[in-house]
Amino acid sequence: MKFKHIRPTTTSGWGAAAVFLVAILILPTLFLLVRVFQPASENWDHIREFMLKDYFVDTISIAVWTGLFSVAVGTTLAWLVSAYDFPFRKTLKWALLLPLAIPPYIGAYTYHGILDYTGVVQMTLRNTFGLELSQAYFDIMHIPGAVFIFTIFLYPYVYAITRAFFASQATSLIESARVLGSGPVQTFFRVVLPVSRAAIVAGVSLVVLEVLNDYGVVSYFGIQTFSTAIFQTWFSFGDIDAAIKLAGILMAIVMFILLLEKFLRGRRKFSYSTTKVKPLKPVRLYGWKKAVVVGYTGSVFLLGFVIPVVQLLYWAALTFDYIFTKEFVSYIWNSTFVASVSAAAIVVIAILVANYTRMAKGIVPAVTARLTILGYSIPGAVIAVGVISFFIFLDEQLMTMLGASSSLVLSTSVVMLLFAYVIRFMAIGYNSIESGFEKVGMKFTEASRTLGMGWTETFFKVDVKLIRPAIFSGFILVFVDILKELPLTLILRPFNFETLSTMAYRYANDEMIQEAAVASLFIVMVSGIAMYLFHTFIEKEPN
Amino acid sequence: MHVSISDLSFSYPGTKEYIVSDFSLHMKEGEILSILGESGSGKSTILRLLAGLEEPVKGTVRVGDKVFCDHGNVVLPVEKRGIGMVFQDYALFPHMTVEANITFGLKRWRRRARKERLEEMLALIGMEEYKKRYPFELSGGQQQRIALARALAPNPSLLLLDEPFSNLDAHLQHRIRAELRETIKQTGTTTLFVTHDQEDARVLADRVVMVEKGTVQKAGRPSEVFKDTWNEKLLEV
Ligand SMILES: Nc1ncnc2c1ncn2[C@@H]1O[C@H](COP(=O)(O)OP(=O)(O)OP(=O)(O)O)[C@@H](O)[C@H]1O
Ligand SMILES: [Mg+2]
Repeated sequence: MKFKHIRPTTTSGWGAAAVFLVAILILPTLFLLVRVFQPASENWDHIREFMLKDYFVDTISIAVWTGLFSVAVGTTLAWLVSAYDFPFRKTLKWALLLPLAIPPYIGAYTYHGILDYTGVVQMTLRNTFGLELSQAYFDIMHIPGAVFIFTIFLYPYVYAITRAFFASQATSLIESARVLGSGPVQTFFRVVLPVSRAAIVAGVSLVVLEVLNDYGVVSYFGIQTFSTAIFQTWFSFGDIDAAIKLAGILMAIVMFILLLEKFLRGRRKFSYSTTKVKPLKPVRLYGWKKAVVVGYTGSVFLLGFVIPVVQLLYWAALTFDYIFTKEFVSYIWNSTFVASVSAAAIVVIAILVANYTRMAKGIVPAVTARLTILGYSIPGAVIAVGVISFFIFLDEQLMTMLGASSSLVLSTSVVMLLFAYVIRFMAIGYNSIESGFEKVGMKFTEASRTLGMGWTETFFKVDVKLIRPAIFSGFILVFVDILKELPLTLILRPFNFETLSTMAYRYANDEMIQEAAVASLFIVMVSGIAMYLFHTFIEKEPN
Repeated sequence: MHVSISDLSFSYPGTKEYIVSDFSLHMKEGEILSILGESGSGKSTILRLLAGLEEPVKGTVRVGDKVFCDHGNVVLPVEKRGIGMVFQDYALFPHMTVEANITFGLKRWRRRARKERLEEMLALIGMEEYKKRYPFELSGGQQQRIALARALAPNPSLLLLDEPFSNLDAHLQHRIRAELRETIKQTGTTTLFVTHDQEDARVLADRVVMVEKGTVQKAGRPSEVFKDTWNEKLLEV
């Protein structure tokens, strides 16, 4: 008799379930991979010859410029609030994260509305100052405008990770640089930036991936990127094969970025752990320096949060009465429904897989863990194409099995959308659960097993109970992200199925910017509240 | 219960070097035995192998009439071994009361028996009035006693303790170790405990095994083993 039962293996129930679930999640991506190399259509030759270069140049230049500006804004803000003491510092410290509560597409149409001919800026200039300036000054619907929008709403990724790094690891280095007589500016460029390279790279790669994922901003601004091109080829030209080829190229760009990230991070693995270390003692600022710092940090907060929110509030007040109808309530319900069902599914799968990978050793669990979080780097447009073609394939199989009487069942249902959400946001839930398990460690599990409990009993009586905070925060994070999500929802929702985000986007696209405000505000509020709760309850930190 | 360990060897997957190599040991029923060795000598790993938390590369372990592993093949999973283990930092379940912690391993017992056993254990460690408390409401020494009660409650065939005093201050440590021997002897449980403190071993153990690089270096009564090391130290000077 020989049975090894110390850890779950891929042949045990736990391992089998985890591997099976992850396999289903990567199936659509594999599906794309196979189809990328099929012979091309005539459209494809046309696209390749005349349009591909533009897609490429526009996509890359938006991504690169946004990346650079986000680093500039994110790291300087993180450094200022960590190293200096100035008025409003404590508030700004977390308030500077808030722009993340505004999805860039909402920010884009809000700023367009503010700067429009009938917007508040031009109205004030005309009516109060009698100034009538050229429209060109107020147009932001171009690549620099998109870079501005992305930077101001996405820089918090760089800010958050870099600041956490300053708080947890860089203190002693910075202090010794100070003791050695290095001035503040010199310290920033010669010590702080180099030692936080891994953190900065981690943050900026999140920003760039978000930019590549975006569909709302670029399509609203009429910019041709891979995202818009993929959707256009599919829906306007009906050319699935060409869309898949574009998706393949976009994926190649993403792969390149991930490799670049790995290379730039170097061997230093950046950990998000918040080990309690003595925080940096901030230096008090006086005089013009104080004014400049307050002015700079304050302006970023105004631009990234206060101005768009005030504008949305104003529009919402104008339109609330006729927008907030029974129908609108059904949009709230739809949003809540898809977000909570997918978040729940994600959390359950994440627990299963994370529990398996933390206990089993070897290649299979390691690969399983990597594949689980793959989806977050895949742009929405690519996931959409993969999931649709996969579901159509499934439907065709169903039809041949059940006879021609049945029509497209799966590919017209909300299941397809939920499935795509799970792929895309799995990583967020997984990271949260995994860090929960890491915090708890193995000792309670082991103690339970020495007291006679098997894997499964231990899991329900001990493991799950101990990671409850992580389960909760994972659920909330995913929920909020799905609430904000646009491209997948827009493409994969069933006919006539509207959520808050699709409704905001459609109004804005129909030049009814004011009518889009109520739905947008809803999204911003929920995200903002979730972020605030996180800051105050979950990431309690000194000073 | 009688314990026999022979040729137990272990290495972490992917490494050649043995952390435990050809470790052999026999224990009489009711004996308290101490494994002594420097940090990194493989003491904890030996306990984990006996508990079934790690898989040996080779070796055989028998406790009473049960075969735990046979020539490196794990035969009994952790939860079927019926051993008790007190972890270095106790690992009391933070979401359960003292009562729930102690009765955790008694799931197949009848309600009445479980209640009686709980009272018995609480009396044994002298903490009857603490059963509704949560672990974080207890001092380090109290936590240690609860961990011991939890491990002893299911009547383990073998009790394993990993540095049971390392989390206590020196004063408490002295008081508790005499108490601990008393408690264990009362239950008659065969016990293997790990320490790097000679004094612990002298007070607590019937017999001592010195471990170096995962193999037995020396074994015997505390007085004998320590006399030798004492002499060696003197000679070196
Ligand atoms: N996960 C691991 N991978 C590789 N080697 C490990 C791992 N865990 C422990 N080791 C090594 O195994 C050896 C034995 O460790 P063990 O914990 O058994 O020592 P110990 O005698 O209990 O030490 P201490 O008194 O410090 O608790 C050490 O040299 C350690 O470096
Ligand atoms: Mg140890």
